[in-house]
Amino acid sequence: MKLFLREQLPLFYIYLAQLLVITLIYRLDGHRSLAVSLYACLLSGCLFIGYLIYRYLTNRSFYNRMENPLAGSEDFAGNNQQTPLAEGLQHLLKSQFRHYQKDILRYRHKIDDHIQFINQWVHQMKTPVSVIHLMIQNEDEPRLHAIGDELDKLKKGLEMVLYTARLDAFEHDFVVEALDLETIIRTVTSSQKRLFIRSRIFPVIRMEGRIGIASDEKWLSFVITQLITNAVRYTVEDNRKIHFHGYIHGVNGVLEIQDEGVGIPAGDLPRIFDPYFTGENGRNFQESTGMGLYLVKQICGKLGHRVELESTAGEGTVVRIIFNLTKL
Amino acid sequence: MFRILIVEDDKGLVSLLEEHLHKFGYTTQAVVNFEKVQSEFEQFAPHLVLMDINLPKYDGYYWCRQIRGSSTCPILFISAREGKMDQVMAIENGADDYITKPFDYEIATAKIKSLLRRAYGTYAGTFNERSIEVEGLTLDIERLILSFKDAKVEISHTEAKIMDELMKKSERVVSRDRLLEKIWDDETFVDDNTLNVYVNRVRKKLTTLNINDALQTIRGQGYRLLPNWGSE
Repeated sequence: MKLFLREQLPLFYIYLAQLLVITLIYRLDGHRSLAVSLYACLLSGCLFIGYLIYRYLTNRSFYNRMENPLAGSEDFAGNNQQTPLAEGLQHLLKSQFRHYQKDILRYRHKIDDHIQFINQWVHQMKTPVSVIHLMIQNEDEPRLHAIGDELDKLKKGLEMVLYTARLDAFEHDFVVEALDLETIIRTVTSSQKRLFIRSRIFPVIRMEGRIGIASDEKWLSFVITQLITNAVRYTVEDNRKIHFHGYIHGVNGVLEIQDEGVGIPAGDLPRIFDPYFTGENGRNFQESTGMGLYLVKQICGKLGHRVELESTAGEGTVVRIIFNLTKL
Repeated sequence: MFRILIVEDDKGLVSLLEEHLHKFGYTTQAVVNFEKVQSEFEQFAPHLVLMDINLPKYDGYYWCRQIRGSSTCPILFISAREGKMDQVMAIENGADDYITKPFDYEIATAKIKSLLRRAYGTYAGTFNERSIEVEGLTLDIERLILSFKDAKVEISHTEAKIMDELMKKSERVVSRDRLLEKIWDDETFVDDNTLNVYVNRVRKKLTTLNINDALQTIRGQGYRLLPNWGSE
């Protein structure tokens, strides 16, 4: 309605001006009957208002449509009150929509291809990684230890690429089952034993009873590995501990991962879950991609877990993952 | 001796696997023509097959089905794909077990041994494995007994792992990191101090066998087992 009135406002002014001009001309010509002039104005005004009402009624849904923004990218359809303007606009929108759809489809194809390529590529890279891994496995020389460390980083990088690429296709790629929290943590910490030993930082696991959680093993292991990598990376001093504490809080199972590292400056805290955000620690430490915590948050969101992070600069960081409990 | 067929197209990986398997006394053969895996299988008639999934021409699932058409020989998949679906697919196509790349030698040999044992019901082919001997000092890994001449001493699982590593590399320095890695268990984590405790226990047990000062600490590097008892 508002849009309609605004649209017709100039016409209204023109109409008024025209009325004025015409009555004035008649008046100057010598017709001085005020009543006749008013009567003429009234008649003409009725016609004008009648026209406006007709215009409004025929275009009502069009105007309504114009006033309410679209929620999604759905087609501009369902308008059966056709005036030339509305029809023209709808036609234009439809063709524009089709173009966009085509574009979007093309990009979706490209992204799909790209993801597939990345997947394939990561798997191809895993063979050379395995070969190097096997070559240095039974050796115990400092030089080969260094190669082993770099190889571990390479493996982590590949994993991260793979999991990031998979994130969008998450729905096809996860199986929720009942898992024992302690088993998961022990498996993940053992798989990271080289990292722990090299950095002289050791895990301490404390479980309050058996905690059964509903989750996907592979994705959850990835999340915990990310958190461990962070915890170790930001713990500068040797012989520190990373505490894994599992407990039941009300209807939820909670896993707390606490480190004794450098912590996160308060100013960075609100943005730590943003993609590519590295913050102050990212500048002081190498190899921060800013993707770790982002992935953690995204994956937990999709798995239906909640993530909380508390940190005090200089004292360490606590990450809490809150699960739904389930029977084992 | 057991024959193992390796169906893997990466030459580097094949040669490392072969070298490792030869140490355990297995005879190996790698597939050369990836269009005729089935006929190479029939010619070689292996006791076990190591199968990759991503192969030129057809994939590992395909060859697994082909082999299953004529044989029940154990097939162990080795693949870079770690998804649940891939493992399920492999098992459904007839695989017996699955390892993901990159893998450890220990895991590969353990799985091979267990598959062979299950299929052929024998411990043969695992020689040189259950005990290790250096200059008369013998470690029985299965029974956890360390013996020298007529003397015997029982040792714990962790101590055996330390001794095993030191004896395998006798006269050479074994780094603390490596020992920590070897004795790291799913159940217990061993930090630096605990390793010292374990090493001291091993020393004491060596003393009860009348072996003194053989286990040396090399500062900043690790430990070394010097077979100084041989001349006695």
